[in-house]
Formats: sequence, C-alpha cells, structure tokens
Amino acid sequence: MDVQSAALIGAGVAVLTGLGAGFGIGLATGKTSEAIARQPEASGKIQGAFLLGIALAEATAIYGLVVALLLIFK
Amino acid sequence: MSAPEHAMSISERITQGISIKTVFTLHIFNLSIPISDTVVSTWIVMAVLILASYLLTRRFRETPKKPQLLLEAFIGFINDFVKENAGHHGKDFAAFLGTIFIFLIAANLAPMLTPIGGFGFEPAFVIKPLTRDINVTAAFAITVIVTVFFAGLIYKRPLGWLKSLVQPSPIMLPFNLLEYAIKPLSLCLRLFGNILGAYIIMQLIEAVAPVIFPPVAGLYFDLFDGLIQAVVFAFLSTIYIAEAIE
Repeated sequence: MDVQSAALIGAGVAVLTGLGAGFGIGLATGKTSEAIARQPEASGKIQGAFLLGIALAEATAIYGLVVALLLIFK
Repeated sequence: MSAPEHAMSISERITQGISIKTVFTLHIFNLSIPISDTVVSTWIVMAVLILASYLLTRRFRETPKKPQLLLEAFIGFINDFVKENAGHHGKDFAAFLGTIFIFLIAANLAPMLTPIGGFGFEPAFVIKPLTRDINVTAAFAITVIVTVFFAGLIYKRPLGWLKSLVQPSPIMLPFNLLEYAIKPLSLCLRLFGNILGAYIIMQLIEAVAPVIFPPVAGLYFDLFDGLIQAVVFAFLSTIYIAEAIE
C-alpha cells in the first residue's frame, strides 16, 4: 500500500470523530429540552450553556475534519 | 472556470471549490501583493455593510419607521445579549462583538445571494463563503484574543492580570498561558471547519443531484449552519471577554 492510499484511509478514519460529537450534541440537546421543560423561565441561561456546550463538543469533529483535510491535501 | 461544470469529476469540483484563487496582483513600491478572491469578496461584503449602515442610520426620527424599528430591535438584541453574558462592564464591548456578529452573518450568508451557473450560463464572479478561507477566521480569532488580552490588562490592572494567571493555584500558570494559544486556535478552526465542511457537502450534493435537493439542503447547510456558527463565534468571544474582565 503506497503512502497516498494510506493517507486516504487515514482521512476516512479521522472522520470517525464525528461519532463523539454527534453523541455529545444529542445528549446536550436532550438535557436542554428536559431542563427547559422543567423550568421554562430559565430558558435564556440554559440556552447559553447549551450553545457553549455544543460548540465545545463539536470541536472534536472539526479537528477530525481538519486532520482529514490535511491528510488529503498535504 | 474554463471547463463546463458537467465535465468535471466530483473531486475536481471540490478541489476547485476549496482552493483560493488569486484574482489579481497589486504592485506597490516594488512589492507585489496577491489579492485572492476571498479578499475581493470581503471588500464587496464590507462595501455593502458600510453602505447599509450609512443608509440605515442617516435619518433617525423620534417616531421610528419600519427600517429604523428593525435596526433598533437588532442593536437592542445585541446589547442585551452582551450585557447578559459579559456582565456590567461587558457593554463596552457590545460594539466590537456586534460588528463581528454582523460581519460573520454577512460573510456566511453572502454566497446565497450570488447567482449560480448552469445551462451554459457562467456568472462573472461568484462569492463563495468567506469563512471557508482559514485566513479570514484566523484574523477574527487573533482580533478577539488581542481584545481579550488588553481587556484583561485594562480592567484588572496589570498586577491583577498577573495575579489572575496564577489562579486558582500557581500550578495552573502554564495552562492559563496556554489558553491564550488554544482559545484563538479553536475559535478559528471551529468556524473554518464548519463552513468548509458545509460547503464541501453542498458541492457534493450539487454534483450528484443538481435539481431539487440543493435548495432544500442549502436551507440547513448554508442558512442554518452559517447563522449558528456566527452566533457561536460571537457567543464564545463574549464569554472569553467576560472571563477576562471579571
């Protein structure tokens, strides 16, 4: 197997980071809905924490994308 | 674009989509500065925003009409947002964060307004999402972190800022210093990666199913994702500034 095809397989593997991000964002969204249902008057603060949380959870997937791009266009 | 669109393979299409072309080169004082298409698009967006802010703020009245009402509601929203998240001193940064927010919205949504080619028609200039160029997002991230640094220095006084570096214990010093590198890096890569990812997916959809699907998928990938990422960037910048001035 030459280097190019190994890099392409590596890029595919790197995109598996999306698993974690999807799981994390799903969990965060579920809990946010629960929290808003329980206390609708605090929805502003809950949404703030939610946005921060998904931004951080999503970062892993983005790093995966960046690594994949680096592997493809090195 | 020399070859017609249908003659390109998918990988060529994507490579062409994410590559940043040099439109022309500027010659000043023996320096030759390459001007990329991102810079030209940025100029267009800037011109539109400056013109819009001039026209919208030109005639303010006591009894506002519709554009002024919308503008006031939007600015009020930004001010409340910053005040709520960055505390009492935060309102000093409302203009800065609002500017970033408005520019990012314009930059992420501008490509939706440009014509797309097809049926033998090739538009002269296509605005691609500006934030698909990592240089744009890096510039924004650096601006934010410089603001965070000086905000901390000014609002906490230099001594207080030095003290905040060793909070909660001196062992945290290297991590607190590292934050000044990690924060802009993650800000920059998050926006870049999201917009580029959405852009590549849109290119794929347009290559595979060019008829009905692109507008539907574009609602999510262009409109929703662009808006959400602008909000997230502005929100994280607000949080970082709030941390610095507390």
